[in-house]
Amino acid sequence: MTDLPGKHWRADDGHHIDVRGLEPPEPMVAILGYLEREGASSPVIVHHFREPVFIYPELAERRWSHEIVAGDPDEVRLILRKIP
Amino acid sequence: MSIAATFLGGAKDRLLPASVPFRYFMAAVIFQILAWAALILGADELAEFVGGTGYVLAALHLLTLGVLVMTAMGASFQLLPVATRKPLQSVWPAQLAFWIFVPGVLLLAFGMLDGDAVFLHAGGAGVVGGLLIFAVLTALNLRKPAGFQIVALHGWGALLALVVVASLGLALVIDFSTGFFENRQQIAMIHMVLAIFGFMGLLVFGFSQILIPMFVLSRNLPLRASRIEVGLSFAAIIGAAVSLFYDSTAGLIAATGIGLAAAGMYLWLMRSAFQTRMRKRLGLSFVLIKISWGMMILGLLIGLAVVVGAPVPNGMVLTVFVLLVGWLLTFLMGILQRIMPFLASMHASGRGGKPPLLSELTAEGPLKVHAICHGVAFILGFAGIVAGVEDVIRIAAGFGFIGALAFTVFAGLIVIKITGNRLPFFK
Repeated sequence: MTDLPGKHWRADDGHHIDVRGLEPPEPMVAILGYLEREGASSPVIVHHFREPVFIYPELAERRWSHEIVAGDPDEVRLILRKIP
Repeated sequence: MSIAATFLGGAKDRLLPASVPFRYFMAAVIFQILAWAALILGADELAEFVGGTGYVLAALHLLTLGVLVMTAMGASFQLLPVATRKPLQSVWPAQLAFWIFVPGVLLLAFGMLDGDAVFLHAGGAGVVGGLLIFAVLTALNLRKPAGFQIVALHGWGALLALVVVASLGLALVIDFSTGFFENRQQIAMIHMVLAIFGFMGLLVFGFSQILIPMFVLSRNLPLRASRIEVGLSFAAIIGAAVSLFYDSTAGLIAATGIGLAAAGMYLWLMRSAFQTRMRKRLGLSFVLIKISWGMMILGLLIGLAVVVGAPVPNGMVLTVFVLLVGWLLTFLMGILQRIMPFLASMHASGRGGKPPLLSELTAEGPLKVHAICHGVAFILGFAGIVAGVEDVIRIAAGFGFIGALAFTVFAGLIVIKITGNRLPFFK
């Protein structure tokens, strides 16, 4: 994922994207860039520094749902799932 | 929402209630209708307009204050807290500013028709009062921003320009009845240049650096180039104002040259956003935005030609028309048609349930009608001013009027949609 901003890694619970420390709109680019990839896997776990409300319309348009879940103290963690 | 999200205070905390930005946007859309209507009535005065009361002066301020500044206020209240990562101190002043500013613009425009001092003074007070609240709220938000320093820098510049523009505007209004300015034309020119480039221009340049990358989904813009752009912009605006004050043609030529360099740097930044963009289909809004950028350069070049004394027919009016209608109005209509569905969907997402899709909130038909009518209005208006033909200008304003009506349908449908009322023909 070197062409996309942020840190990307795979774990047992899904594909993780850490966008903390990025200036807007790079968090959005990192997340949507991955979702638009061929074979982007669901779910995607996003580690963000704030609730990214600006991305919600874009997620809905691409038929991805979002849910905020408990995460580390310094993050807002979201789980994105492809809507079948 | 999780404890973490609540604790951190996410962007949602920086989002105003949807009614705040939308009241400004809807007012701007309606003022556009009024501005074109006033121009229909004042078409005979436009080509050779050099100042003074009448329909053209009213149309000019319905457009600048009612449409351009109104949109800028709504966008700033909504977007600056997100860019600076600092919440607005309080929401009610943003609402109060609206209820002072809107009647102020209406009264001022009415007073400008025949120079009625009561309407002019009451309107001027309302406009300045609304702008003052806006300026204080914006200044508080721009202090020690946690993010987007470049946007904040543009914001400070715009705010300083606004203070001078509003002060000069108020003085010009009082001058209508007292006549204390020895050279009213000179003060009006400084007022206009600072309003177009200082306030609106800097806001456009600043917000573009967050909105355009967000809309096209590009990587961040190069910071060094952004700093050069803001430096050139400040130099050009200050240089133009000082040159006008000292009546220096050489200074004005130099300032316009620097302004062209600033505009060039801004366009280079926008180009770099397009080069790294992920979104391939940009839609009608970006057709308008790209055309507006061309009009910005055209307006500066015509202005330069006028300053150096080239024989441009009705050159000053033509310059202002290209800059206001061709550049700023076209740009803001492009941005509004992108941002209104976006904000509507975003706010709806926060209410839970399934939010309306952007595509469901964008009525393409009215937008196409608006774009065509706006384009025809600009071309005919340009031709009418150059040729000095009243009827052509009136037809141009008529097309602008129809386009503004179409845009109001688009905006109204969004409001109806997000407020829960549905019309059967909404697509």
